[in-house]
Amino acid sequence: MTPMGMTAPSAQLTAFSPRVRFRRGVSVAFMVAALLAIAVSMIMLGALIVEIAVDGAARLFTDGAGVGREAGGGILTDLPTPAGMRWMTWALPVAILLPFVGPRLVNALAPGLPRIAERAMGVIVVAPVAIFVHILYVRFESAYYVEYARAVGIDGASGNIFQVLGEASGFQIVRLLVVGVLVPLAIVAAGWFGAQRMRRPSLIIPAIMIAGWVVYLFMDPWFLSSFPSRKPAEAGIFSAVTGTLYMMVITAAVAFPLGVGAALYLEEYARRNWFSRMIQVNISNLAGVPSIIYGLLGLQVFVRVLEFERSVLAGACTMALLVMPIIIVSAQEALRTVPPSMREAAYAVGATRWQMIRFHVLPYAFGGMLTGNILAMSRAIGETAPLIAIGALTFIAFLADSPTDDFTVLPIQIFNWVARPQAGFHEIAASAIIVLMVILLLMNAAAIIMRQRTRTDW
Amino acid sequence: MPRNFFTLMRSSAPAATDVPAATRSGHGTPPPNWTAEAATGVHLDASLEAVRHEITEEVDTALQLRDVSAFYGDFQAIDRMSMPIPRNRVTALIGPSGCGKSTLLRCCNRMNDLIPGARMDGEIEFEGRNLLDPNIDAVEVRRRIGMVFQKPNPFPKSIYENVAFGARINGYSGDMDRLVEDALRRAALWDEVRDELDKSGLALSGGQQQRLCIARAIAVQPEIILMDEPASALDPVATLKIEDLMRELAEEYTIVVVTHNMQQAGRVSDYTAFLLAGEERVGRLVEFGPTQDIFTNPLDQRTEDYITGRYG
Ligand SMILES: Nc1ncnc2c1ncn2[C@@H]1O[C@H](COP(=O)(O)OP(=O)(O)OP(=O)(O)O)[C@@H](O)[C@H]1O
Ligand SMILES: [Mg+2]
Repeated sequence: MTPMGMTAPSAQLTAFSPRVRFRRGVSVAFMVAALLAIAVSMIMLGALIVEIAVDGAARLFTDGAGVGREAGGGILTDLPTPAGMRWMTWALPVAILLPFVGPRLVNALAPGLPRIAERAMGVIVVAPVAIFVHILYVRFESAYYVEYARAVGIDGASGNIFQVLGEASGFQIVRLLVVGVLVPLAIVAAGWFGAQRMRRPSLIIPAIMIAGWVVYLFMDPWFLSSFPSRKPAEAGIFSAVTGTLYMMVITAAVAFPLGVGAALYLEEYARRNWFSRMIQVNISNLAGVPSIIYGLLGLQVFVRVLEFERSVLAGACTMALLVMPIIIVSAQEALRTVPPSMREAAYAVGATRWQMIRFHVLPYAFGGMLTGNILAMSRAIGETAPLIAIGALTFIAFLADSPTDDFTVLPIQIFNWVARPQAGFHEIAASAIIVLMVILLLMNAAAIIMRQRTRTDW
Repeated sequence: MPRNFFTLMRSSAPAATDVPAATRSGHGTPPPNWTAEAATGVHLDASLEAVRHEITEEVDTALQLRDVSAFYGDFQAIDRMSMPIPRNRVTALIGPSGCGKSTLLRCCNRMNDLIPGARMDGEIEFEGRNLLDPNIDAVEVRRRIGMVFQKPNPFPKSIYENVAFGARINGYSGDMDRLVEDALRRAALWDEVRDELDKSGLALSGGQQQRLCIARAIAVQPEIILMDEPASALDPVATLKIEDLMRELAEEYTIVVVTHNMQQAGRVSDYTAFLLAGEERVGRLVEFGPTQDIFTNPLDQRTEDYITGRYG
């Protein structure tokens, strides 16, 4: 007997039974839907990318002179390059690879090195990178100062670093300290602490860096290192890129601690009552608010009431508000992945709640939090509407020297160029889009790598 | 490290007044030679009378439970349990699943505080103070009364860090390397890991992980170690190792162990408490006494049924 109209039991065992055929049909249907969606989006995205690349590559990869640029103007191209400097440029890929390959080689050749020697080795191999960054950046600041002095009409500007420091604003000194000193020191510290972890290197980072270096070799750096201009052939995105980077740094500095703090409160400290539920619901709601609304909020609160004017700071604070919900929610998710057994283990040896969080929850969840932060940043980096609402400028011929200076960012620059009638501006808009996409891809790659790292480390 | 390096009370509030001054100030000197009647008979509700075998040896009390009840929200998990935990002995808690063994254990170091809605009642006397008193610092209680869990749960850090963590956060300032080595030796793990202290604790086998957890518990120099089915996830050889370890540790520590394995309880413990959940799933103490007596001469029919495997 076959109950409920099914085929005989023996028939059900075969691969041709109606049940199996139905299941296959279902999976085929899903596959077709997926393929359709993928095909449509890939084709459209592909067409878009090809079009942008064809337009933009002309400006990015041909010598600026070829499109009728007048001599001078770019900052990086004007960098004095003595022989040592040129040698260091060629040494860059080696310096990038060494920290990853070096310790592994050392370990293979002389296994069982004491920890201190291993760490010293780590420092030795990363030192060239640190020195390179330091020299390059100090030279950049000098060249930038000389350029500035020439434009403003200061005589006798030699670009000597002490002269630069003497004339620098507080923000410039911070910039010099952070990029020229702290970053190299951080690289050295990475060598010291990372020496052991590097035995199992992820080659993705050096691969990306070397690919970037190769592209840079063939590129016309002039586009990256000059300011906007009325002539498309002379216009560059220097102020837009630096403006974007400044804004991102300040946005992250504001949004990350606040967001992580809020997530810690909600996940670890808050009682589960109507109040915390209300906050939770509202955070989710905020994530759905259109970004232009944040722009209007920023205009009223930061630009007018707090009188930040149309500054980097106002833009960054607005962006911080915009991405805060993303950071909070992803940090909460990261906190929820911490196994309860680990919390109990910490409590059982007499840890306080904060010690438990500080030594176990945060290290465990930090990778996830950082990933969320980077994804939030890559959302912020492409946002245009809120910045237009707070009145960011489009034509900025100097770098921001303090957080209260006017600024522009890449998407605004792109928007401005696209809106112009001349085809030349459309081309450089495409070039700027390529740069923006590369920055975005790098950030997302960093997020993925970090997520994997934290996964394998534990 | 001096034992009274840390203070038990969070504030300088006066200690519970019903405790005799002698017991309160004399740190770690509970009344000498007690008997079961003297220690537990006082507070007992007649309807909850559990069978208590006489304790013949002279032994101190590490913990004295008096009418301990525990609730999860409205649900009462254990009901007015009273018994002593003898010092430097292994006490086994046995009973069918859901009778409240883990709950009782987690009351003893205030681990249940961490569960939202959990509540405790009654009194657990430890060095003259009631651990369940809200004025008692639960963090300090957990340092003095360590815990080993059913599933090995080493921190995702190096072996060294696993052991050193507890001592470090508790302000230990002596020679950390020696402390780590000592704890690992006493947990019978040193010889297996001495060359790879940098290795992640998670890279060890299950049995090694559990011994690492025991080393971690020892490293904070607790007085009492609570173990919740510490060997239930392990193979017979690893189980034997843990059992040997418990016997050795009992010379210095007081151990309370939950186990579902009757042979294990018989092999490893000096005293046994049999718990049972009646109707409404409320756990009660049925019988307590020296393991010898409980296993050879159970006085309650239900204990006998459980020990001989006739219980569900
Ligand atoms: N977090 C909790 N929330 C609510 N009820 C709980 C919780 N933990 C335990 N209980 C209940 O308390 C009772 C006792 O649980 P407990 O875990 O102490 O039993 P147990 O004797 O350890 O059982 P087992 O031998 O299976 O581990 C059970 O009825 C259980 O359902
Ligand atoms: Mg249990």
